[in-house]
Amino acid sequence: MVDLLQLVFAGLSQGAVYALIAIGFVAVFTVSGVINLAQGEFAALAGLVAISAAGSGLPLPAAAVVAVASVAVVAVLMERLAIAPVKRMTTLVSLILTLGVSTGLKALMLLVYGPNAEGLTPITPGGVTVGGVSIRYQELWILAVAGLVALAVYWFYERTLAGKALRACAEQPVAARLVGISLGRASLTAFLIAGCVGAVAGVLASPVYFTSWESGLTLGLKGFVAATLGGLVSVRGAVLGGLLLGVLENLTAGYVSTGLRDAVAFLLLIIVLVARPSGVFGRHAEARV
Amino acid sequence: MARRALPLTGAHGRRSRRGDVVGMSVLTVLLVAFPFLAPPSVTNVGVYALIYALAALGLSLLMGLAGQVSLGQAGFFAIGAYTQAVLVTRYETNPVLASVAAVTVTMTVALLVGLPLLRLRGHYLALATLGFGIIVTVLATESEFLGATSGIFGVPKPQFNARTYDSTTEYFLLLVPVVLLGLLLARNVVESRIGRALGAVNDSEVAAESLGVDTFRLRVQVFVLSAAFASVAGTAFAHWLGVINPNAANFPLSVSFLLMAVLGGVGTVYGAVVGAFAVEGLDDGLRRLIPELVPGAVGEVQLIGFGILLTVIMIFLPGGLHQLWTTARRRLSGSDLAAGGAPPDGGPAPAPDDGPLLARESRAPAGTPLLEVQGLTKRFGGVTAVDDLDLTVHAGEIVALIGPNGAGKTTAFNMVSGAVVPTAGTVTVAGTRVEGRKPHVAARAGATRTFQNLQIFGSATVLGNVMVGRHLRSRAGLVGAALVLPARREERAVEASARELLDLLGLGPDADRLAVDLPFGRQRLVEVARALALEPDLLLLDEPMAGLSGAERRDLARLLRRLRAGGMAIVLVEHDVEAVLALADRVAVLEDGVRIALGTPDQVRHDPAVIAAYLGVDPEDSTAVAVAEAGPGEAR
Repeated sequence: MVDLLQLVFAGLSQGAVYALIAIGFVAVFTVSGVINLAQGEFAALAGLVAISAAGSGLPLPAAAVVAVASVAVVAVLMERLAIAPVKRMTTLVSLILTLGVSTGLKALMLLVYGPNAEGLTPITPGGVTVGGVSIRYQELWILAVAGLVALAVYWFYERTLAGKALRACAEQPVAARLVGISLGRASLTAFLIAGCVGAVAGVLASPVYFTSWESGLTLGLKGFVAATLGGLVSVRGAVLGGLLLGVLENLTAGYVSTGLRDAVAFLLLIIVLVARPSGVFGRHAEARV
Repeated sequence: MARRALPLTGAHGRRSRRGDVVGMSVLTVLLVAFPFLAPPSVTNVGVYALIYALAALGLSLLMGLAGQVSLGQAGFFAIGAYTQAVLVTRYETNPVLASVAAVTVTMTVALLVGLPLLRLRGHYLALATLGFGIIVTVLATESEFLGATSGIFGVPKPQFNARTYDSTTEYFLLLVPVVLLGLLLARNVVESRIGRALGAVNDSEVAAESLGVDTFRLRVQVFVLSAAFASVAGTAFAHWLGVINPNAANFPLSVSFLLMAVLGGVGTVYGAVVGAFAVEGLDDGLRRLIPELVPGAVGEVQLIGFGILLTVIMIFLPGGLHQLWTTARRRLSGSDLAAGGAPPDGGPAPAPDDGPLLARESRAPAGTPLLEVQGLTKRFGGVTAVDDLDLTVHAGEIVALIGPNGAGKTTAFNMVSGAVVPTAGTVTVAGTRVEGRKPHVAARAGATRTFQNLQIFGSATVLGNVMVGRHLRSRAGLVGAALVLPARREERAVEASARELLDLLGLGPDADRLAVDLPFGRQRLVEVARALALEPDLLLLDEPMAGLSGAERRDLARLLRRLRAGGMAIVLVEHDVEAVLALADRVAVLEDGVRIALGTPDQVRHDPAVIAAYLGVDPEDSTAVAVAEAGPGEAR
């Protein structure tokens, strides 16, 4: 029983990281129909920038801010330089294009930060044992901050004019343009959100799961699976999908085999796509944010 | 769904056979000369280029034909390599037999991966294959049987006739015929019936399916074929390197396969080979250059070049080197091909013959029910577009479906042809239930259609469009097409019958023009010709008269009468009431999704409900006025 609780807790904290990355996929996909394969790289880059900023003597919160800000800039540049100039964005083009950006970012990280995986210093080192379940303080930080960020994004889409405009673009691009919403601005905003949530995920995850130049590959894939579980168009679904994936992965690692942890995401993806293409948590396949 | 994504070499355009012979010969000479002219270190790069070219070729076919992309091509490459290594080192299997087994194993795995995914939108296959590549790496690393991280050692260099091919030059020359064979197969597939059908799918999925193309099945076939190419590359890799480890399924390798295909030009077969040499050269150069520029750089540093190149190509040159090549050639030759072939305005009218057309012995005799629609209903949310529609259409009659805008005509039509899934009700075409199934099921049962909003295959010629219509009347499968021999004769027959049909519709002079270059009215005729190429028993025409000139309308009406005389059943949705009443045997009238009348044109003309609902009183339309005055109905 303690084992189970331990695995579920670890899964939730890991799932919270997936959930943030999944929100990034959803933000971009709903507005522009692009699956941004560089989403995982946003997280990896943020982790590495934070590590090197902290290493150069910056206090941890400042390092985190620097990391999120620089990834936000990268995301915005990516949208302006690589996404916006393409006139006929089809699925195939968008995949190859974002793969190109993702590969370039990976290589850049390799050249700048080297091939080794490192971990950021935790915000609060150490941990506590509650009823046999050992909890690292960093895991609590992950859950708390990820929860806050997810709520903020949800609030943005539901309550603010800019958020509603973005939803309008996702649901009715033509009508949105008719009432004066700029699709270009919407796409830029979506990438900005994707960059920020990805970066937060990367900074939060680094102390526990470590960061290297290739972390973005699996992080991105798992974020995508989480988003797909949630139907690919809903923030709420993305969060639930992330948590579910995290828990299932940890249960598999605990009860079956550690090596199979990475296979869970793939199998889950296939099963969901066969059984419920609109997602486990998606109520219907219409565009919703 | 998968709209045509990249400018291809017109997968279903026509290329000259002679051009191919020249191309293949030049390539053969270049490849054979390569190891003798290049220094050994370059030949070594060349060996990898040849091996990887095969994997890239498969990927190029997948992207060009199926419009989907795999990010796990290295996974299939690794499965081929591991199977080969295990069979050769553990069971001392003959390498050739082993490679057959390796390819079979890989194709089976690809089938299992592709089946659930290829029905869905393209990004699911991409991400799932990415995950697949990771899983292959994980499994290989975890498996003791496969040697875990250190892999399998001691795969020998191949031996034929007591001769071991162990120098770079010898191995290179051994690979050349394999790659040329692969190229030939790939080219044949692109130019075949299958390639033509998939090219059509990339232009308009619904139109291709209405002509009987089973998109899903063909996509799965191409996906499996693409994995087979990767596994052949994998077996060659295992023998050359002598050792195989989990790195073979590495993601960066998948990226480089993708870059090779994209750089050469997606869907072009030569492009993949050119791309492979270019990318391998780049890879080698960057691995030397970057550590000098960035001290201490280790690992997959070449990726920086790959990433930048992929991005830049997709933004500025989506057709890859092939696009550059065709543009340059057009510039050099000075004349643009588009000007060739004077547009025959109007064109010769169809022969003024009124005999029956396209009669077939096997066809059901006139009066047999061909289409039976019962209780057909479609609701979109709270709106009922079609409500409990019943309709029976017999062989040898023309039935028109009319009604005001928004009456549900096109929705009903779409449900009959399989493009829209009904909420309730049944549709039976010649004894086959087709409702809710894909359009190709209806096509197989003998029903096909044209579209109100034209769905012409834009990248094909007029002839190419009509040849897609012969899809179900020809049989060459993927294997047959790849091996050419049986398929050649069939191709000629398909072309001949397509030309015959074009002549019949007066489109003969336009046969070799791009279909999109034709005026609107003639594009409609192309759609009719394309549908007729299927030799359907039931022809569904969605507003065939729209956009046609008076003379063209008369010609089309005569054509339809001749087809009816030949025993075909025709259903048409039409706005031009006069034309319909003059042409149809029976008319069904829809209003707000409900069938309010069904009868001969005369009955319908005098039906009070119809008059009230539909004809209205138009002071300039003397018929309508007369009818409206005669009946008790009041105009809206």
